Amino acid sequence: MKKKVLGVILSVAMAATLLAGCGSAGDSGTDTQTPAAEDSTDNDQSADEASDKSADPADYKVVMVVKQSDSWFDDMATGIEQLKKDTGLNVSVQVPETGDAASQISIMEDLIAQDVDAICVVPNDPNALVPTIEKARDAGIVVVTHEAPGIADCVDLDVEAFVNETFGELFAEKLATAMGGKGKYAGFVGGLTMETHMAWYNAAVAYLEEKYPDMENVSEEPYEDANSVEGAHDKALEVLKAYPDIAGFFDCSAQGGGICEALQENDLGGTVKVVSLALPSMSATYLKDGSMSTGLCWRPADAGYAACYAAYLIASEQGVSDGTDLKATGYESISLDGNIGYGNAPLEFTADNIDDYNF
Amino acid sequence: MTKKIDAFQRMLLIIIVVYSVFVTIKNPGFFQIQTVFDIVKTSSTTMIVAMGLLVVMISGGIDVSFMAIALFGSYTSLYIMIQTGINHLAFAFAVSMGIGALLGLVNAVLISWLRLPPFIITLGTQNLFHGIMTTFISDKSFGSGVLPECLHQFGQGTLFKIATDNGSTGLTVSLIPVLAAGLATYFILRRTMVGRGVVAIGNDEESARRAGFNPFRIRLFVYAYSGALAGMMGIVYAAQVNALYPNKMVGDELMVVAAVVIGGTKITGGQGKIFGAVLGVIITYLLNSTLIMIGLSSSWNNLFVGAILVIAVAITSYQERVKNRKHLIFTE
Repeated sequence: MKKKVLGVILSVAMAATLLAGCGSAGDSGTDTQTPAAEDSTDNDQSADEASDKSADPADYKVVMVVKQSDSWFDDMATGIEQLKKDTGLNVSVQVPETGDAASQISIMEDLIAQDVDAICVVPNDPNALVPTIEKARDAGIVVVTHEAPGIADCVDLDVEAFVNETFGELFAEKLATAMGGKGKYAGFVGGLTMETHMAWYNAAVAYLEEKYPDMENVSEEPYEDANSVEGAHDKALEVLKAYPDIAGFFDCSAQGGGICEALQENDLGGTVKVVSLALPSMSATYLKDGSMSTGLCWRPADAGYAACYAAYLIASEQGVSDGTDLKATGYESISLDGNIGYGNAPLEFTADNIDDYNF
Repeated sequence: MTKKIDAFQRMLLIIIVVYSVFVTIKNPGFFQIQTVFDIVKTSSTTMIVAMGLLVVMISGGIDVSFMAIALFGSYTSLYIMIQTGINHLAFAFAVSMGIGALLGLVNAVLISWLRLPPFIITLGTQNLFHGIMTTFISDKSFGSGVLPECLHQFGQGTLFKIATDNGSTGLTVSLIPVLAAGLATYFILRRTMVGRGVVAIGNDEESARRAGFNPFRIRLFVYAYSGALAGMMGIVYAAQVNALYPNKMVGDELMVVAAVVIGGTKITGGQGKIFGAVLGVIITYLLNSTLIMIGLSSSWNNLFVGAILVIAVAITSYQERVKNRKHLIFTE
């Protein structure tokens, strides 16, 4: 029996590595348009120097690596499609099968081997990607991140929709308004390693501590919903049991719907307030039935558009500076702080305006 | 069969009770009927696939593709319903389970034909099925507004409700598919010739063949059954979360394998009990859903769950050895 238990543990470990490996094998096959395209669009001004390209967007191959496949990144992909139509930039999207750093790393390794001009990435775990990002930049590839201000020193540019602290405080303000400024609340993030989620969470908690002394956070650390609606649902049920007098939730990952489901099961929809990062297609019903007070967001399509356009500007040596127009709504004049380019593009959903958005 | 609970299962029950007492001491809020209802609801999906996996493991095989099958079946059937406007729960279950059974047959044929370990085959088909789905069907996510209304009613449905301090709680209707899966599995394993064949090929395929069983046919049945249950689970899952994603479920299969093995199922086949698997699932869910109760912060999650699981497995395997010694069986 002992041996068998050991066998189980070993096979579990093996399976985990195999799964990770399989993910990369699957991904590598999907993008086979090699830099051949670059050769065919021959640069007329200097035939002898292949690397010296014109500013024509069609000459640049930019690839966006998103976190995972869901409606958020589906919308980002539509923005990138739009960028391709608007400018002719050779830009595409790579979607990892699983939402972890390992699969993003393997996709990036493939892209480095293909010698693309620029990689945009929305890291699942920014610090885990640093070695790969450095490798890409050593190979002369421009790297632009989104949602990763913490590793901005390691990349060419990090594009943010807004200053994270401001957005976190917006969460706090909306939650405080919904709860009437008093009561117990709990905060959720996708995972403790998710930098932006943590930045919002910390800013929100700090803001509430300062401005609303009657509001009490039930836990020192946020709860993790693992970016799954099921995770948010199960954790919310648990919090409801552990703290029956809870009056509000805020979820920094876009899974507030799971919390609303859990509340509805307990006939608490609308009684306990929910403020969540939200995507219209996934949250409209909850906003309309009142179980979610406010949804907060930024437009992923615009962010993807801006990040890829910025990547093109850097790759073509036009550069990005304070006030550069990244051509997307909310990013018309970015403010540059070190390597971070901030837009001003928060979106706020309520039951009244949710139908105006269709992503 | 003997209805008596064996020492192994008794040990699992003791672990559950001791742990529950511990949690109750830390937080009296644990000790209420709502806890039971919540665990029944959140564990219902795992229970269903655990039954299918149990049958596969008793037959000496293993299936790690069932989550991909569940996703394939549920995603496809609900996608059809969204596109055509069909709003009928029976349709969802029938199509999803049909697709599941079909994909299970693919597994069985590949395993019999290639004569490779089922683990490798199903690991391959897991990626294959998922890939086929996202490539040829769709990889869009669907929110609660778009999904068929009957699905939401089923997901939120309760058999009965009771009032709590600040709202109400109810026993989920997801219990019905769970009971159906459990009873069907019990009936197949205990009351049918196929069930006897499953145990027989799990113990020794050659002996089973000589006794007149057809291992190929039994394998076809076993994997198709696992697939059908996976299809059923997929619909229950989508109904509960009230959303449809093209990338969920896949990746959670090893937790189910762990639960079934903790329940006393031999990974080499030939032995396994439904009640044991149920207890195994309950233990994993109990651990995962009480961390907030006992006040552990999120960073402790994995460490704590891992440690308790290892302890549970160690205690139960020690029990097994003591029992074997008593019967003069020396396995090492």
